[in-house]
Amino acid sequence: MTLSGRDAYRDELTALAAEDPTIVCLEADLGGKNHPFQAAHPDRFFNVGIAEGAMIDMAAGLAAGGFKPFVSTFAPFAALRAAESLKLTLGYLNAGVTVMAPYAGVSGAWFGTTHHCLEDLAVLRSVPGVTVAAPHGEAEMRAVIRSAARGGGPHYVRTGRNAAYESLPLPGTQLPPVNWESEGDPEDVCLVSVGEEGTRLSLAARASTGVAHAHLVYLDHEHLAESAAELARRHTRFVVVEEHRSQGGAAEALALLLPGCEVTSVAAGREWPSTGGDHQEVMAALGLDLPAVLAAVAQARRGRPAAAGLVRACVR
Amino acid sequence: MTAVLDTPTAAGTVVSTLTERSLRARRLVVDMAASERGCHLGGSLSVLDILVAALHRAAAGDGTEVVLSKGHAAAGLYAALYVSGVLPENPAPLYGRAGQPYTGHPGPKVPGVRFPTGSLGHGVPYAAGWALSRRIGGHGGLGIAVAGDGELQEGLVWETCQVAAARELGNFVLVVDRNGGQNDGLVADISPLPGLTDRFAAFGFEVVETDGHDLAALSELFDRDRSAARRPLAVVAHTVKGKGVPAVEGRAGSHYVTIDATRAAKWKRAIR
Repeated sequence: MTLSGRDAYRDELTALAAEDPTIVCLEADLGGKNHPFQAAHPDRFFNVGIAEGAMIDMAAGLAAGGFKPFVSTFAPFAALRAAESLKLTLGYLNAGVTVMAPYAGVSGAWFGTTHHCLEDLAVLRSVPGVTVAAPHGEAEMRAVIRSAARGGGPHYVRTGRNAAYESLPLPGTQLPPVNWESEGDPEDVCLVSVGEEGTRLSLAARASTGVAHAHLVYLDHEHLAESAAELARRHTRFVVVEEHRSQGGAAEALALLLPGCEVTSVAAGREWPSTGGDHQEVMAALGLDLPAVLAAVAQARRGRPAAAGLVRACVR
Repeated sequence: MTAVLDTPTAAGTVVSTLTERSLRARRLVVDMAASERGCHLGGSLSVLDILVAALHRAAAGDGTEVVLSKGHAAAGLYAALYVSGVLPENPAPLYGRAGQPYTGHPGPKVPGVRFPTGSLGHGVPYAAGWALSRRIGGHGGLGIAVAGDGELQEGLVWETCQVAAARELGNFVLVVDRNGGQNDGLVADISPLPGLTDRFAAFGFEVVETDGHDLAALSELFDRDRSAARRPLAVVAHTVKGKGVPAVEGRAGSHYVTIDATRAAKWKRAIR
């Protein structure tokens, strides 16, 4: 059985820490219960309580002292409440701290707006030097965590709540800048999937339309620039699907990086989801569902501007 | 130089050395106030003796890290680092100038500065994280955060106090430069801190009140063996804004000062 992003993170980190005594794990009361890292390495596990900013700044102190801190709290609290600590710790200090941020997007669903986070990519992508990742499936999450532990640079890793998805086939031991899940007609539209839900929707849309599907794991500027170059070698029209606001998301960045191409975004737009429901129902309320993706593909194929509810990020 | 004071004579020698350093540093701070940029003069002078004593403790070489959390007192930090032998160059002529690292709030491009501070509150958890790294690494050394009393209005400070007490971080020391002032006036008028020592005690800290300009008392506090301590230490250091420069001593208006060379020379002659 495949693991959720959160569980894959915990399991992989616990295993890595057995070989690397500099790895320490910090939680802020939102994942520290029955944590496998605590069971295996109790002297390097710290549940600091509900203190997100202090946790990230303390991680800077731990990194300066020679440790590799992995800290975790929900995405809205990491990326927004503790944004200044992230700017200083991950950005200015370039500290070797990895922030694991579950509950990204609206995976908090019926918990409400305070537990949603549709702005984290915009915040973190604007901080220089931070590796930003949104893995889909257990294998990608494990690969991201291994890379973060090995490289020692600052990382922000977003994931959902508890959903578990089968990993896409990985072409090698390293995560590629672009994972071509399906190579379609170069003259046709290409779906670009970001994160767990963007990938789920893109897989479904690819199955019914036959378009190409390129999956991205790393979303910081440097990785996206590399990905954009590869995307442009194969296609000219892209539909990016992501569980994030269109402002500051991957589609907006790709539109700037692909000036000769058409980039359309299926994203959350500017609404505040404020009603209940499960994860997919809340996404649908934002216009993030399969019909929206299929409509975007159809419109991109026709080469016509997007309809209401979709954002045409950049056409040049 | 060892920071452990074995005899009264040795203690007297150290205090004499630190006193001389503080006087030199105060003159450098006035020089920075006379720069094109000016500086946070009052808070730099109030915190100076604390910094000089803390940097002397760090010179013991056991991994003690001093973090000036009230980063707006950067001029005081630069001066203290220089007279303590950490900074290889006199920062005053370079302060605030293009291409130089001596900005109005300190960053890690300055030798001896590990963390960026100035956005208030952050230096406290940085120092606590450093203390935690020393403890779980099986090493000695303290994490010393030097905060302002106005800075205690930041929630991040109390988040960290909660964590430090819960984690029994006995090698974490939080020094409060209690000069009673902040940017817009007096702490007592804006957001007062009644029962401050009781607050720290209630958080589980060991608490000491002291004269923040008494170098002997400060040295003795920093030199205590805390290797087996289970409670972090809060030092409420009573200080005077603008300390040492009679023209501004105790005046809220000394918070940020820009002066000309003539006045600087006069103030430097009056430093005591």
